[in-house]
Amino acid sequence: MNRPLTPGPANRSDKADIGYEADGYWRDGNHHVIVELKSGTHSFRNVRASLLGLAYRLAREPEDRALLVLTDSRITEERLHAELQLAGQTLKPDVMRRLSLVLATPEGYVGLPAELGSNFYDWLDDLIANEASKGSKPRMSSDEVFKVMLYQWLLGKGPVTADWITKTVGCSYPTAARALERIGHALVRHRDRRSVLRGFPSEQWKRLVTMSDETRETVHFVDASGQARSPQSLLRRLAALGDDRLAVGGIEGARHYYPGVDLVGLPRLDLTLHSPDGHVDLGFIERLDPGLVKADQRDAPAAMALHVLRRKVTLFDPGENGLQWADPVECLLDLHEARLEPQAKEFLNFLIKNRSGTA
Amino acid sequence: MNLLSPHEILKQVAAALPEECRAAVIVIGSLAAGYRYFGSDPASLVQTKDVDCMLSPHIKAVPAGKAVAESLFRANWQMREDAKWGAPGTAETPVEQLPLVRLHPPGSSEWFIELMVSPPATGARGKQFVRLETERGHFGLCSFQYLSLVEVQPIVTEYGVAIARPEMMALANLLHHPVIGPENISGLIGDRGLRRSNKDLGRVLALAFLAMREDEDALRGWAGAWVEALQGRFPAEWATLCTVAGQGLRVLLESPADMEEAAHSCANGLLASYRLTPQQLRIAGLRLVQDAVEPLEAMARA
Repeated sequence: MNRPLTPGPANRSDKADIGYEADGYWRDGNHHVIVELKSGTHSFRNVRASLLGLAYRLAREPEDRALLVLTDSRITEERLHAELQLAGQTLKPDVMRRLSLVLATPEGYVGLPAELGSNFYDWLDDLIANEASKGSKPRMSSDEVFKVMLYQWLLGKGPVTADWITKTVGCSYPTAARALERIGHALVRHRDRRSVLRGFPSEQWKRLVTMSDETRETVHFVDASGQARSPQSLLRRLAALGDDRLAVGGIEGARHYYPGVDLVGLPRLDLTLHSPDGHVDLGFIERLDPGLVKADQRDAPAAMALHVLRRKVTLFDPGENGLQWADPVECLLDLHEARLEPQAKEFLNFLIKNRSGTA
Repeated sequence: MNLLSPHEILKQVAAALPEECRAAVIVIGSLAAGYRYFGSDPASLVQTKDVDCMLSPHIKAVPAGKAVAESLFRANWQMREDAKWGAPGTAETPVEQLPLVRLHPPGSSEWFIELMVSPPATGARGKQFVRLETERGHFGLCSFQYLSLVEVQPIVTEYGVAIARPEMMALANLLHHPVIGPENISGLIGDRGLRRSNKDLGRVLALAFLAMREDEDALRGWAGAWVEALQGRFPAEWATLCTVAGQGLRVLLESPADMEEAAHSCANGLLASYRLTPQQLRIAGLRLVQDAVEPLEAMARA
């Protein structure tokens, strides 16, 4: 039987009522501002969900304003403006008047109401910095747990304890336990509390690959010199840098593990930067090549892709001549990110076929 | 300025020189760079108007210069038209007021050769003039303090005359401009007056760009060659020179206005075919600093 939905009772908390909890709340005289931060969001589905949550809140609080602030987003200013126009055709004018969509860029904020003043700017800067330090760590940790379990399985390294996982990933025991629970059906749990993957977890892997564009921190660099250095030249310079935070991934990393990978040449250089404390220092880029600049557009042909690795232990494979190699799982994800699907499939098949040890 | 074929010009210059003097001539400047980097493509042209020919070694430069100049006069090469410097001087003319040997080939005023002289092994400072007495009158031969560097292992062309190594021309220019000086070039480049430093240091960037175009890691070999040359030519002060070589270049790279002039000079000269933006030229300069200047400085410290 179909029953109509009716509004619930008043005076309950926002979270209980509308499933919404703001990241920050600013009060200064007449200004009451609710702020929601979205970091690394590239899909409009997420933006729309957040806008709707804020609209619910504004409908209940007629004196408040609300800001949805996007950080580290690849959504362009133009697309954001178009999205706001669409929202304006749907939401009440009184709600829309008090709702702002803000883009935080390296150059400053786009769309921030000027009347909020410099104190609010400072407060917002702090809020973003605090959220960045917390970041998406639970999600990141969950993915990292899966990746290190896959690493163990692909390299035939045998079962591991939860303690090993927490130390390798740099997460708490509950986080590790929850992450293992999520892949529980793919695990073999031993009596001594160690666990290992039962086989290649295809479904979880597909999910990770699908989500990795959103969840991995990848920065693309393009050549601005008109005289791009080859990936091989960049590799030689990387070796000379001797920076132990960096490892080679992507197709060159895959070749390190599987020299027979079917690709002539090296379309771009993939590097993994180990940054367990969340601080991404890109100062080495200019030492690598002053011609490399951050790509403005996701689809620009990248000369180099830099993937940030947050877990505590790198699992890098030490190489010769000052180079290190990212682990095979990172290399696989790099290949998918570079849309080198046939090579990713070939490399994965090689790893599965040649894995040593037993579960 | 005109588009010239380095091959054709070198061939013409060599043919006009007395055979016994060809080995005493080292062509420097944009034509030498063009021959070095565009040499495999005879159709490639260089935008220039002058062909700088250095007489070397210093001790034989004046007799060689006399033979070269008189041979060219006999072959009907003409002095470049110039209201102030269009006629030879006399024995009474002070050496600084003598015209340089700037001669057009017969029937063409598109380009001219200019004779220069390598500096003495020791004691030379800044710009110097040497008197050249010919049957047509007196001329001056100009030399610069660091020009002796281009005498290091010049490349002998198929026409018998040599060209200077690009890395040595670059080093001479770097040392000549430890700062961005206020003086302008005498003429115009692309209808603009430019600072001398920006033109010459822009040439360094152009040489670096062309070297990397041929071999992306080419600049990594420059520091070693530079140290060897400096130790040979300036044994008492080579280490100091290593530390000052990059000073002017670094100032240039951090000055957008000066970089714009340098890029303009390159776009109207050696890099006319490439149309680099000032930003792209700056990147070539940053790569030069990393690959050659910093290693040079490190070698001096070591």
